[in-house]
This record gives sequence, C-alpha cells and structure tokens, in this order.
Amino acid sequence: MNAIVVRNLTKYFTPSKKEKKKGRARNPSLESRKQGNNSIIRAVDHIDFEVKNGEIFGFLGPNGAGKTTTIRMLTGILKPTNGEILIFGQNFWNNPIKAKQIMGHVPEEANVYMDLTGLENLSFIGELYGISKKERISRAEQLLKKFELFEKRHLKSKKYSKGMKQRLLLCMALMSNPKILFLDEPTSGLDVQSSIIIKKLIKDYNKNGMTIFMTTHDMDVANEMCDRIAIINRGKLIGLDTPENLKKLKQEYQAVDFYFTKEAKESELENLSSVKEVRKIRDYYHIIVHDLNDGICEIIEYIKSKNLKVKKINTYEPHLEEVFLKMVNGGDDY
Amino acid sequence: MRISKEVFGVKGSKKLGLTVQLRRAAAIAQKDLRIYYNKPPVIVQGIIFPVILFFTFTIGRKIPTPLLISGLMAMVIFLTATSIGPFVFPWETMRKTFERLITCPVSVKTILFGSMLSSFLFGVIFSLVPLVLGIIFFSLQITINFLIILIAMFLAAFVFSSFSLILSAPPTDMPGNIMIFTLLLKFTILFLSPLFMPIRDHPLAWISPLTYFVDIVNVSLGLESAFGHYGILIDFAILSFFGVFFLFLAFMLHKKTLQKRFRN
Ligand SMILES: Nc1ncnc2c1ncn2[C@@H]1O[C@H](COP(=O)(O)OP(=O)(O)OP(=O)(O)O)[C@@H](O)[C@H]1O
Ligand SMILES: [Mg+2]
Repeated sequence: MNAIVVRNLTKYFTPSKKEKKKGRARNPSLESRKQGNNSIIRAVDHIDFEVKNGEIFGFLGPNGAGKTTTIRMLTGILKPTNGEILIFGQNFWNNPIKAKQIMGHVPEEANVYMDLTGLENLSFIGELYGISKKERISRAEQLLKKFELFEKRHLKSKKYSKGMKQRLLLCMALMSNPKILFLDEPTSGLDVQSSIIIKKLIKDYNKNGMTIFMTTHDMDVANEMCDRIAIINRGKLIGLDTPENLKKLKQEYQAVDFYFTKEAKESELENLSSVKEVRKIRDYYHIIVHDLNDGICEIIEYIKSKNLKVKKINTYEPHLEEVFLKMVNGGDDY
Repeated sequence: MRISKEVFGVKGSKKLGLTVQLRRAAAIAQKDLRIYYNKPPVIVQGIIFPVILFFTFTIGRKIPTPLLISGLMAMVIFLTATSIGPFVFPWETMRKTFERLITCPVSVKTILFGSMLSSFLFGVIFSLVPLVLGIIFFSLQITINFLIILIAMFLAAFVFSSFSLILSAPPTDMPGNIMIFTLLLKFTILFLSPLFMPIRDHPLAWISPLTYFVDIVNVSLGLESAFGHYGILIDFAILSFFGVFFLFLAFMLHKKTLQKRFRN
C-alpha cells in the first residue's frame, strides 16, 4: 500500500498586481521559470511519485526548487493548480479533514504559539485532533520528556531557543500519533547535537511504522536518513533513487585542489594513472581523480620526484547542483 | 476499502461531524482569548476607547439615565466584540501559526467560527460591566427588563463578532495595516449611531446596526421604541438580518483571501 501517491502535481503562482509593479523577484532561478508577459512562476511542475507505507522518503533539491511548495500542497495548505494527491488511496481534496487527521507536519519556519507554554501548545494541538483531555496531557508529557523539554514545559515558548522550538514543533506534529509525518528541512539551522537527537528520534518513529516525508537541500542528510530520495530542481522531478546510487553519483566526481609553490606541468599530471583530468584555475590545479586515496598518493609521489612543494591541498566536495547537472545531462557537463 | 478503514479509523466519518468541529472551534476560541486578550491593540480598542469615548460623549451634557446606559452598553459591546477578531488573522499570518492551524484537521469554517466565538465572548463579558454598574447605581430609579437585554446582548455580540470577521479578511501579515482600516470603519459606524441621544434626533441612525441594539435597551429600560409600537420586534429582526448577512459575507471573503495568506 502506498501512503502517498502524487500524480501530475502542479503549482503555478501568479504574482499579484502589486508584486508585478515592484518587479519583486524572490529568487534568481525564478526568472527562468517565468513565462511570457503574464510571468507565471512554475514552482512545482507536473511531478509524479509514490511514497510507500513505512518508508522515509526524501525530497532533495536546492533553494527554490519547489520542496516547500510540494509539502504545502501535500498537507493541505496550498491548493494545487493541477494534479492529484492520494493519501492511503483516498483523494486528499475530497475530504481534507479526514486526511489531515492522520498527518503531522513540521513546517519550514518555526511557528509555535509564542504566548503559550510548551505544554499548552501541545494540548491545544491535541484538542484540534479530538484527543481527550486526559490522553492529551499524558501524551504531551511523554513527548516533552522524550524531546528533553519536560523541565521547560511551563515556560512560554517565546523563551525557548531555536533548537527547543524546533523540538516543540516536532512534538506538536507527533501529538496525534500520525500515520504520515511531513518534515520541511527538519535539521537546517540546528547545531550538530540537536540535529543528531532529532534525526535519531525520527528514525525511531519510522521503525515503529510511521511513514516519513522529509525535504532537505543537504545530500548527506538525505543519504543518512532516507530509504529513497526524489530529486527536484526548478519545479521538476529529475530523479528518484536510493541513497546508495546517489552516493555513487557523488563519488564519481572526486577531485583535489593542489596549490604548489612553483608551476607544474599539466600534461605530466594528466599522465598519472589515477588522474582523470587536470584544470589549471588561477593559482591552483583542480585535479579530477578516479579514486581519492590513490590519486593523492600518486600526486604526492610525483611532487617529490619533481622537487615541487605543496602550499595547500583541498579535497573537493561536489555541490548538489553539480550532481544534479550530472543527472540531467548524463555527466557531459564536466 | 478495508485498508483505508484501518488507516483512517472506523469512527472516521462520525468523528468529523458537526459537534466535533464545534468542539474544535471552542478550542480555537479559548486559545484566541488566552493569547490575545492582553495584546495592546485589543486593550486600546476594546477597553481604553470605550472609556475615553464615553466621557467625550457625555461630559457636560444632561443625558437621561436610560440613554446613558444604552449608549455605554452599545459602545462597549461594539468595540470589544470587534477588538480581537481583526487582529488574530494578520497576527497569525505574520507569526506563521495560521499555517499550523490549517494543517490540523479543522475546516476553514471551524477556524472562522472559533475566532468569532472569542470575539463574541469578549464582547458579552465586557458589556456586562456597564450593565452591572447601571444596576448598582441606578437600580432604584428605573425598571429593567433583564431577559430582553441579555438576549439583545447575545444577538449584538453575534452581529459584531461576525462583523469583526469581515474586518479580518484582508490577507495582510501586518496587524498594523488592519488596525488603521478597522479604526476608520469603527469610528464611522459609531458616529452613525445614536449614542447618548434620542434615536429620532439622528438622521442617519437607521444605517447602523448599533441603533437597533440601542433601541432594544432603551425599551427594556422603560423608554418608548423609536420604531413604533412593535419596534422591538423590528429591532430583533433587523439585528438578526445584519448578523447573518455579515457572517455570510465574512465566510465568502475569507474563502477568497485564504490562499493569499500563504505567499511567504
Ligand atoms: N506563495 C508564493 N508565491 C509566489 N511564489 C512562490 C510562493 N511560494 C514559493 N514561490 C516560488 O516558488 C519557487 C519554489 O519555492 P519553494 O519555497 O517551494 O522552494 P524550496 O525548494 O522549499 O526552497 P528552499 O530550499 O529555499 O526552502 C521559488 O522560486 C519561490 O520563489
Ligand atoms: Mg523550502
């Protein structure tokens, strides 16, 4: 059984007259998505995918790709321009309240009620899901303990730190014990420790059968957390794969930047067996290798033999965009 | 089908009935009251304005006691019932808590109804104050028909809390914008209303819904209705009409502006 099925899902934004006048562009990638003089923004453009019951499904893409817009459509905030959303086989918009009853959502921006305490926030959300008072309190306290907020449960949440607010948001989304949990960039902006706690807890809930749909622009987070990853760029789905395959794709592009004290010969470097390609960029050499370890060792040998000195070495992490380009263009771009 | 029943719960359809949505609306109203009762715009418009306006209107004038009480009650119920409502939506749009509400299993009507309920309660509670004061200070001088006044209060609170929903419809995320616009509208209505004066002396009084509330209170305090022998029935009918009309208009406007609240 699929938890979520999405067919042809599309969201176009038409800027209001005021925005048109101001010529307000939210995002550079926007321009390319505008169409003609009526300047429609194609935030999400005819996408299809399925999320299986019980999996952690990642939605990966750079800024402005359309991740938040997609999640806002799946959770009933935005009405799609086109397309269909099925939640456990039932059309979402036929009965949104029924569908929302089994979903939880952690939005991109923190939005707890600042003037309510942690406990009051949770109790209020529980009420909206029709949970009885006794059950509400006990569930809230359990969650607060689990997320290490119990001590601060009577503190107004405007006094919470960012990490605490994010954890409270998660508690709010979990209050109803949802079948599907939507997370929009759950760890962005958090320190390492908070994000480790959150990632672990998300995994725990998933092990107990909760389906998770999460967006991120961080490939490593997606690889670490997800069973399958959909990649979205400029409103279009450009790939859907397992983390293993994605990792391979990333590893295919391994490079080292070498800064030497003297000029080296590009052709000689390129003749090394583990080197794929050498580009001289300003004062350093961008060397693409087959294998990082072998490559570095071989280059060091070469350096010794030529009496060169190394000023600085950087190993090179490909950006998400580069992997995307590779996916879209089949790698010809490099 | 069986699977979906398992997922959505057997009680699925029953759980989403009217009473359930009403209970959730009550939760929203309670939240609104708890969060917004002490916000500056609410205090200023709901409590300070009525007091200041009361003295502006009445100081140095000889006003018969019933008109004093009816005028004060009308002003208080109007200003308090419209003080929370227009503030909640832009505030929650700004703070992004509105998005949070929408993802919960409540309909837009439930959210609107909850917001209206908070305005309603705020209005009723505060207009009890002048009523009680009136009774304490003037109880010996006048006869009061309590039941009618109470029913009229509920009706007026309904009318003006619906009205406050209309004021909250523009999809702005800047509470300040709404405040200026609502203040202008509210003052216009106040000056169109025959407060602290005989209704017949005000040429445009029939336009304002407040007029009909004032008339009911006047009659309950022993004065004659400005609208003839069955005037009080006319008052109730017209007030009800205003209430239903405002509510209908508010639902329509909110439906239109809802999606614009999520423009980042
Ligand atoms: N309400 C809106 N009105 C107009 N344009 C919008 C609206 N919401 C999003 N957009 C535009 O649609 C595109 C997709 O935005 P979206 O927020 O979905 O991206 P995202 O993938 O979540 O990005 P980020 O990583 O920055 O959160 C962007 O170009 C954005 O400017
Ligand atoms: Mg986003």
